[in-house]
Amino acid sequence: MAETNSLISLKVHGVLVDPNTDTQIVVLRDEKNAEVLPIWVGTAEGTSIRLALENVIPPRPMSHDLICSFALHLGFTLNKVVITEVKNNTYFSTLFLSKDGLEKSIDSRPSDAIALALRAQCPIFVTPEVLERRGSDDLDTWLSKLDQKGFEQPET
Amino acid sequence: MLSQMNVRGLLFDPYNNAYIVILRDEEQSDMLPIWVGKAEASAISFALERIAPPRPMTHDLMKTILDNMDAKVISTVITDLKDNTYFAKIHLLFGDSEFTVDSRPSDAIAVALRTEAPIFASGEVLHKQNSEELERWLENLKPEDFGKSDV
Repeated sequence: MAETNSLISLKVHGVLVDPNTDTQIVVLRDEKNAEVLPIWVGTAEGTSIRLALENVIPPRPMSHDLICSFALHLGFTLNKVVITEVKNNTYFSTLFLSKDGLEKSIDSRPSDAIALALRAQCPIFVTPEVLERRGSDDLDTWLSKLDQKGFEQPET
Repeated sequence: MLSQMNVRGLLFDPYNNAYIVILRDEEQSDMLPIWVGKAEASAISFALERIAPPRPMTHDLMKTILDNMDAKVISTVITDLKDNTYFAKIHLLFGDSEFTVDSRPSDAIAVALRTEAPIFASGEVLHKQNSEELERWLENLKPEDFGKSDV
């Protein structure tokens, strides 16, 4: 795990629908808009992230709202989430929870981490290694081909 | 009056493009069908079939978080049915206190299966749900509709 001071803070820029597959893409950007990190997620996770981005309160709690309810009842907080690693196109992330000054780190998929971070309003970080390994050339080509209308949430 | 329910299986509802979780009480006299989305069905199916996915799914994460916080799921209860929406509660034991958290039945069932907590249904819910409607629906099902929970 990298030191906290080398971590890069990311914001969720939007959620795109990949028209070719049954998946959605969460687009993360750093604060200077210099780096882009797209993460492919399932439909349910993409929907959950979009609801949180748009501040939509669904009539019944979604799975990530339920986790936030647990936090509220049990008195723990989500301090930050870190996207730590990418292996064979799979991203890994860690949740940092604390309760009574005690911190616990929990392995999660980035989709869950992002859905929770948006609800808990906690920062999302990525390690420099993950950004380096993302293969930005392919990404730029890919992004330029995307229909802009795919962006449900162009500015955040 | 609560009845303990077992998850008997998952059906695909081709007419509504949704999945149905079938709950039955221990005497097999009451049946409670609950319509759920694809992701929720998948979360329930993984637990039923004891499949460990390569990465933790949302409800696996939920269990890990509760374990890390030393909170225990005591039970889950399907409490109410209003306008075709089912309501559930998850009862947690944390320290010496009990907490009740509002949830959708799909989340409650997915968590209960992972934590081996019992699932109950209130008498009102069992009374309210129209089993005739389900039976009519089941009669129209073809054998091929019973998928192998390929969700």
